[in-house]
Amino acid sequence: MNVTTLRTKAESQIREQFDAASASLPGTGWVSALRARAMDTFAAEGLPSRRVEEWKYTDLRDRLREVPAPAAASPGSVTVADIDAALGPVGAIDAERIVLVDGVYRADLSKVTAEATVIELMSLAAMLTKAPAWLEGKFASDGGPVVSLNTAFMSDGVMLKVRKGQDPGRPVLLVHARTSAEPSAIAVRNVISVEVGGKLTLVEAHVALDGAARGALANVVTDVTLADGAACDHIKCLVDTTSSTHLATWNTKLGKDASYSGFQLTASPALARNDINIMFAGEGSKLDLSGVFLARGSEHIDTTLVVDHAVPHCESRELFKGVLADRAHGIFQGKIIVRPDAQKTDGKQMSQALMLSPDAQFSSKPELEIYADDVVCGHGATCTEIDADLLFYCRSRGIPSDVARAMLTESFIGEAVEKIENEDVREAIGTLAIGWLRDE
Amino acid sequence: MLEIKNLHARIADDGTEILRGIDLVVPRGEVHAIMGPNGSGKSTLAYVLAGRDDYEITEGDILWNGESIIEMEPDERAAKGVFLAFQYPMEIPGVATMTFLRAALNSVRKKRELKELTTPEFLKLVRAKAAELGVSDEMLKRPLNVGFSGGEKKRMEILQMAVLEPTLCVLDETDSGLDIDAIRIVSEGTTKLRGPDRAMLVITHYQRLLNYIVPDKVHVLAKGRIQKTGGKELALELEKSGYADFTGKAA
Ligand SMILES: Nc1ncnc2c1ncn2[C@@H]1O[C@H](COP(=O)(O)OP(=O)(O)OP(=O)(O)O)[C@@H](O)[C@H]1O
Ligand SMILES: [Mg+2]
Repeated sequence: MNVTTLRTKAESQIREQFDAASASLPGTGWVSALRARAMDTFAAEGLPSRRVEEWKYTDLRDRLREVPAPAAASPGSVTVADIDAALGPVGAIDAERIVLVDGVYRADLSKVTAEATVIELMSLAAMLTKAPAWLEGKFASDGGPVVSLNTAFMSDGVMLKVRKGQDPGRPVLLVHARTSAEPSAIAVRNVISVEVGGKLTLVEAHVALDGAARGALANVVTDVTLADGAACDHIKCLVDTTSSTHLATWNTKLGKDASYSGFQLTASPALARNDINIMFAGEGSKLDLSGVFLARGSEHIDTTLVVDHAVPHCESRELFKGVLADRAHGIFQGKIIVRPDAQKTDGKQMSQALMLSPDAQFSSKPELEIYADDVVCGHGATCTEIDADLLFYCRSRGIPSDVARAMLTESFIGEAVEKIENEDVREAIGTLAIGWLRDE
Repeated sequence: MLEIKNLHARIADDGTEILRGIDLVVPRGEVHAIMGPNGSGKSTLAYVLAGRDDYEITEGDILWNGESIIEMEPDERAAKGVFLAFQYPMEIPGVATMTFLRAALNSVRKKRELKELTTPEFLKLVRAKAAELGVSDEMLKRPLNVGFSGGEKKRMEILQMAVLEPTLCVLDETDSGLDIDAIRIVSEGTTKLRGPDRAMLVITHYQRLLNYIVPDKVHVLAKGRIQKTGGKELALELEKSGYADFTGKAA
C-alpha cells in the first residue's frame, strides 16, 4: 500500500507508536493481522481533515498536532475511594461497577454482583489473547479513521453480555478512569450485547483522577448489539477539566422490536468528537437519542449521528442541546437515512443551542436521505440566547442576573436530561451538568 | 414613600416616548389605584418602576423611601422591596415553581441581610400562603406558570408577593382574568399585606376590584401623564363617564 503521502507529525507519531507497541498489544494471529490491517486502512487516508464531509467542522488533522504515547500499564495504586471521588454524583448510583484504569480492566476495582446467568463479563484483553475465531467478526472493517485507529491500538475494554430474557435490575456503570501523570493515549473497545428480550442500563463515565495529566487523548469505541426484543439505555458522561481530546464512537445495531435510548453529556473537553452510528436491522424498533453538550473557552464539541433505517416500521427520535459560552464551538451533524424498503419510518430530529456569548458558534447540519415514500421524517435546529423577558421576570423577583441565567440555562438542558429513564442516573447526570453551569 | 417626579420614559428600541412627565406620590401605608385607557402607559410605568431595560428614562426620577432607584438593577430594586405583579406573567418551562420561589426568597433575604430559611421552614411558609390563596400543591409542583390558566397565573403572582413580602407592591391588572371568587381571594390576600410600612399601586380597569381593595386615591393616567387624581369615588365616576375627557375622543 502506498502511504508516501505527506504525513503530519501526528500521523508519523501514530505509525511509530504502532510499530513500537504492536508486539505488546494483546492478541496474536488474526488479532495482530487485524490490527495491522486497521493501521494500514488508517494510514491510507490519515487523520481526517475538513475536506472529508463528515469531519467538515472538526479538522482532526489540523487540531491533533501531537499524539501522546500510549498509556503505560497503570501503577496499581488507585483505590475505590479515588474512583468514587472522581465520579462525584455518578459514583453514588446503585450499580454494578466495572472499572478501566488508563485503558486497562481492573478486576480489583470492579464489583459485579449479578449472577453469571444474568450477565457475562470478560475483559477484552483476555478475549483478544484467547482470540476465538468468532470474535473476529465483531470488529467492523469500515468504521472510519477513528475506529480504525481504535482497532489498531485497542488495549482492553469489556465484553458484556446480558443473557436471554435477563435484566440485571440495576445499571451497569462502566468507569473509564485516567490516572497517568504523563499525557497519554488510550484506546478502549467495548463489545456489548443484549440477547433476546434482555434489558440493560449501561452508564459509561469518563473521569480523570486527581493528578492525571492534562492533554490526554482517549479513543473509546463501544459496539452495542441488541437482539430481538432487547432494550438498552446507554448513557455516557464526560465532565472534563484536563483539556483532553475525547473521541467516542457508539455503533449500535438494533434487532426486531428492540429499543435503545442513548444519552450523552459532554462537558468541557478541549476537543470531543462523539460519533453515534445506529443501524435498524429489524422491524418495529425504537430509538431515542439525546444529549447535552457544554463548552466554554475555546472548547470544541462535535456530535455526529448517522441513523440508518434499513428496515420498515421503526421510529427514531433525537434531541441534542448545547450551551456554548465564550468562543466555544458546538457542532451537531445528524444524518437520517431511510432505505427504499424502510416504509412507515418515523424519524424526528432536533438540535438546539443556547449561546451565552456572541463569539460562541453553533454549526448544525441535519441531513435527510430518504429513499422510501411512505415515511414521516423531520428535523429542526435552533440557536437562541437567554430570553430577555424571562430574565427580567426572574430578576424582578430579586434573583440576581447570574443565578437567573443559570436557572434558565438549567431549564434549557432539562428537557434533554429528563429523557434519562433511570431516576438515579438522571439525577446524577443533572447534578453534573448543573455543576458545570454554576461554575460559569 | 414612593415619589415619581416628572418621569419621562421612551422605548429604548425606537425612541417612542410613552411616559410624558408623570408626577405621583404614594406615601407608605396607602393604596393608590391607577386607571386609564388601553395603551395609555400604565404597564410601562409599572415596568419602569421594576427596572425593565426596554425603556429609557430621559427625564425625572423615582424615589423609594427617599432613595433614587432608577439606576438600580431589577434584582436590587426587588431587594429594596419593589414588587411587580405582571399583567402577563411569564411561563418558565423546566423550573419548578418551588425552586423558583426558593431562589427568589433566598436572594431577597440575603440582600436584606436575613438568614436563609431551612427547607422545612420554607415549605411551611409557602404551603400556608398557598392555601390562603387557593394555590394547590399540584400547581406548586409544576414548572412555573407552565400550562396555568390566566387566573391561576395571577394567583401565583400574588403568592410570590405574599412570600417575598415586598414594601412597594405594584399590581398590574391582577384582577383581569380572575373569576368572581378569585377576585375576592386575591383581594383578601392583597389587603392582608396592607400595613403602615407598605405602599401599593394597583392598576386596574374595573371599579369592582376597588370595592375589595379600597384605595386611598385614584389616579387617571392617559397619554403618558396623570390627568386627574381623586378619592375612591373617582373610580365610580369613570365607570359612568369613561375616559373621553382625558383622551379628547368620545367614549
Ligand atoms: N416594548 C415596547 N415596544 C413597543 N411598543 C411598546 C412597548 N411598550 C409599550 N409600548 C406601547 O406603549 C403604549 C403604552 O403601553 P402600555 O402597555 O404601557 O399600556 P397600558 O396602559 O398598560 O395598556 P392596557 O390597558 O391595554 O394594559 C402602547 O401604545 C404600547 O403599544
Ligand atoms: Mg397594561
